[in-house]
Amino acid sequence: MRRQSASAAGLYGGVLSVLLLVSHLAQAQWPDYPTPNVPLTAGGTPDYLAPAPRTAEGHPDFSGIWELWGRSAPGRAAAEALGPDAKPAPSPVPLGTFFDLGANLEGGLPYTPSALALRDARKASDSRDNPDAHCLPMGFTQLHLHPQPHKIVQLPNLFVMMWEGNSGLRQIFTDGRKLPDNDPQPWWYGYSVGHWEGDTLVVESIGLLDGGWLDVNGSPLSDKAKITERFQRPQYGKMTVDFTVEDPVNYTKPFTVRIEHGLMLNTELIEFICQENEQSAQYFDPQ
Amino acid sequence: MKLTMPALTVAITATLLGASASALAHHAFAAEFDRNKPVEVSGAVTKVEWTNPHARIYVDVVNDKGAIENWNFEMGTPNILMRNGWRRDSLKLGDKVKVTGWRARNAPLVGNAGEVFQADGTKMFTDSSVRNAAK
Repeated sequence: MRRQSASAAGLYGGVLSVLLLVSHLAQAQWPDYPTPNVPLTAGGTPDYLAPAPRTAEGHPDFSGIWELWGRSAPGRAAAEALGPDAKPAPSPVPLGTFFDLGANLEGGLPYTPSALALRDARKASDSRDNPDAHCLPMGFTQLHLHPQPHKIVQLPNLFVMMWEGNSGLRQIFTDGRKLPDNDPQPWWYGYSVGHWEGDTLVVESIGLLDGGWLDVNGSPLSDKAKITERFQRPQYGKMTVDFTVEDPVNYTKPFTVRIEHGLMLNTELIEFICQENEQSAQYFDPQ
Repeated sequence: MKLTMPALTVAITATLLGASASALAHHAFAAEFDRNKPVEVSGAVTKVEWTNPHARIYVDVVNDKGAIENWNFEMGTPNILMRNGWRRDSLKLGDKVKVTGWRARNAPLVGNAGEVFQADGTKMFTDSSVRNAAK
């Protein structure tokens, strides 16, 4: 940083040092409480590549605070380990993106003609009707791809996901119950049940409100949709969620995208009450 | 040292993390702001709203006719700003700042803060929603 002629390695080290300094200082802005039982490398740093912890029942324990992989410390560490010019191996499942869930799917999302027209209209109006723009709850995929972190509390019979973004809250019943078959009242967060397939937590959800937004561009979701999420924790520092959407109203076939999260240590969620001082919608231009 | 560290942190973070640390748009940027109408003003901070869904700073600016106009600038969310070194008192009432950003579509004294510079030229990370807004 100090010398124009610094070698790439030196510059890289310098940037990393400053980043670490920033990280340390930034933590001082919020109560700092150490995460317990963090596996460590021989060098004493968090071992993000260690095996996932397990519950007393023997399942992987997803409890912890997670943020989108690219933003997270383990995600950045993984990128740094590959070197500045290397690209990570392509994901075996296309990665979803916040604005366009199907950005990495060949041909994009398999919209029906009416769903494509609706998506195009929503996008053309600058996403002003995205529920999140009015402090209303985000859909599952927007939550999963949101830059603000979430906390998982895993209990033997319940899996709770607390999202910082817009204070989203999901509860997933893992007590063996089945999805309701009595036409349940649709909710913003639907009705979710989970079961284990080996080390994968499989979560099925139905009963979602009609008119949903899967991404900021407005890919629609109907109340006829069923969503299946397959949660895996391949490493201590990484969680992947394969997200399958079946919605015959809006899509010609089911599709699956992956969303990756990295573990956040030594921090807590920060409160986010969206209605506190929402002013933006009044400045939207009339159309 | 104690007083300058938060500002230093914000400045370093702004320089190094840049777009990679930016928040995705909480609200629909393009519905609210016109990226073809940039704005640059300088003045004194009159209020800081450390609130969700956006932190806001209000700045008294002397216009071409010598009258004072109070601008309302939207920034990112307090949680993202905090994780990038901001404190709710990083800017104090009366602080002189320069703000560059984009005008709201239907309000003359409202804008989105793309960059905030302190009197000594230090650039502060604003977490503007413009960077990841749909083009």
